[in-house]
Amino acid sequence: MAGPIINDTPVKTKEKRITIDPITRLEGHGKIEIFLDAAGNVENAYLQVPELRGFERFCIGRHVMELPVLTNRLCGVCPAAHHIASMKTLDAVFSATPTPTALKLRELFYMGQYVHSHIAHFYALAAPDFVLGPSAPSNKRNVLGVVDAVGVPIGAEVIKHRSYGQKVQEIVGGRATHPVFGLPGGVSKQISEEERVKMEEMAKSCVEFGKFTIKLFHDVVLANKDYLGLIVNPDIYYLETYYMGMVDKNNKTNFYDGDIRVVDQTGKEVVRYRPSEYLDVIAEHVEPWTYMKMPFLKKVGWKGFVDGASSGIYRVGPLGRINVCTGYTTPLAQKEYEVFRKTVESLGVKGPVHHTLAYHWARVIELQYAAERMLELASDKSITSEDIRGPFKEPKEGVGICEAPRGTLIHHYASDKNGLCTKINMIVASTNNYAASNTSVIKAAKSMIKDGMVSPGLLNKVEMAFRCYDPCHSCGTHSLNGGPALEVTIRRKEGSVLTNLKNY
Amino acid sequence: MRILVVGVGNPILSDDGVGIHVARILRDRHLKGVEVEELPASGLELLDMVLGYERVIIVDAIQTKSVEAGTLHRLKEEDFERTIHGSSPHGINIATALALGRKLVPEKMPKEVLFFAVEADDVVNVSENLTPKVADALPEILKAIEQELR
Repeated sequence: MAGPIINDTPVKTKEKRITIDPITRLEGHGKIEIFLDAAGNVENAYLQVPELRGFERFCIGRHVMELPVLTNRLCGVCPAAHHIASMKTLDAVFSATPTPTALKLRELFYMGQYVHSHIAHFYALAAPDFVLGPSAPSNKRNVLGVVDAVGVPIGAEVIKHRSYGQKVQEIVGGRATHPVFGLPGGVSKQISEEERVKMEEMAKSCVEFGKFTIKLFHDVVLANKDYLGLIVNPDIYYLETYYMGMVDKNNKTNFYDGDIRVVDQTGKEVVRYRPSEYLDVIAEHVEPWTYMKMPFLKKVGWKGFVDGASSGIYRVGPLGRINVCTGYTTPLAQKEYEVFRKTVESLGVKGPVHHTLAYHWARVIELQYAAERMLELASDKSITSEDIRGPFKEPKEGVGICEAPRGTLIHHYASDKNGLCTKINMIVASTNNYAASNTSVIKAAKSMIKDGMVSPGLLNKVEMAFRCYDPCHSCGTHSLNGGPALEVTIRRKEGSVLTNLKNY
Repeated sequence: MRILVVGVGNPILSDDGVGIHVARILRDRHLKGVEVEELPASGLELLDMVLGYERVIIVDAIQTKSVEAGTLHRLKEEDFERTIHGSSPHGINIATALALGRKLVPEKMPKEVLFFAVEADDVVNVSENLTPKVADALPEILKAIEQELR
């Protein structure tokens, strides 16, 4: 196959404002506005996120038991994460203790979500930039182009294993998308031995596919000097932030349960908290030009869109998790984690990895971990036990946190004595990452666009700065004319359109 | 012949959920030889769902903003070719997912995929109800789909 196309030829623009806008998305899409100064250099950039209206009001007064199936409607992409966070919140609200079987089934289900989500992101969204190149023609730079480049058999393996992740969720959760099995203190559905064996077989195959994906990442990305140059360039995809993620008692990554650990720019632990303490740690900043709030570390404070120890901006998701953990509990993921650390240390990195494109590497390591953990759980014959529901008490207030594929996800509900919801607050992963992803866009835009010279490839490289966060700002909307196509509009100063660049 | 009707949309997002509303009504009518599914997602999830069927009708919301809310647009797979897109911030759309299926597993793909797209008014406010114009158009939309299925 031909090599990836990494650069294209920029042309001079006389405009002051450049918009990268996924126009066909109805609502919930992100839009990047880049403002140039008189010399054609980037003055500032904004990642704007419209938001759905009225969700909290919609939930108040409903029975809290409805919330695991209502909150997961926020999103057609990661409903499983909302369902898990919500059932954990109900555990807290009802002072319920899930049985060991229920905990295993919940985690097994969740590994299915990770397998599906990380495969979809890596192959459908990230791979076009790596396999075809960030400056490849836009009509080729998509998942279909990736299949043309890598071949139909590999493409078929990709959709097969993503589908395995969905099937595991369907078996355990009742439905692959928008599951219905979470209850306070447990789950609603026992699984059969036949179902367990089926999941075990699928998990074995996913472990092999994880190995394949890691090798592909090494062959296509790390072995390419131009990509490595992009990854390690401190002027483009690089932010020295705090990091946040869930860990077990040994500081190994855990997606389902544990403490939330926050480390600073040198890797030192600055806080470790239980879900109920999140309001002591996180505060939210509001900007007038966007609907989404920007969480930051309360004790450090909000200093604007800058990195460094004095700025409370933190990052979550695969890069956040890999920077707060000391490894993984499964052998193949741990092995690749060690390769990851050794590689970055050979490049002079001592503590956390601040290189934003390393999100992709962390994501494929997590795919391997999720597949291995899925196999561990599906191989455990005790998961077919009928002991799937623990005791619970009168409802009150509670917080539940899990690691969504995109990062730390927080649900917080309060209930009256009849179980009716009186308060709801949610901080979703992409919100946690919002300030950081906006800062990444500003930095990438400033380093990519100089003297008014722009091109589709350059603008795609700016977009890569936020795409690696796997942002999920939509949470709910889509329609037939939907789909995240992109259009860059270059406007005259008074706002009229001079020219359009489309990637579809 | 295996026929599937898929209602796509978010049932708590006003008119975005029109496909789900239609699917629920059609399911209750127990049309012979027709299976009905709800899909509160899109893209690759839709691909999983349509494999193995010979004919698929997808009902979803659309906003062209060129016609009255509630107007039904009948579209074919090839009408979406121009929306098969390049890089994306998140997810792939239905057209791209179907094109991917035709490339990777052509033998399992439906011979025909039709789209019944309903012009939506509100897809922003959280509500389980359709807006009045879309709700009023439901009987005609259902009639058109049932005629297609005959």
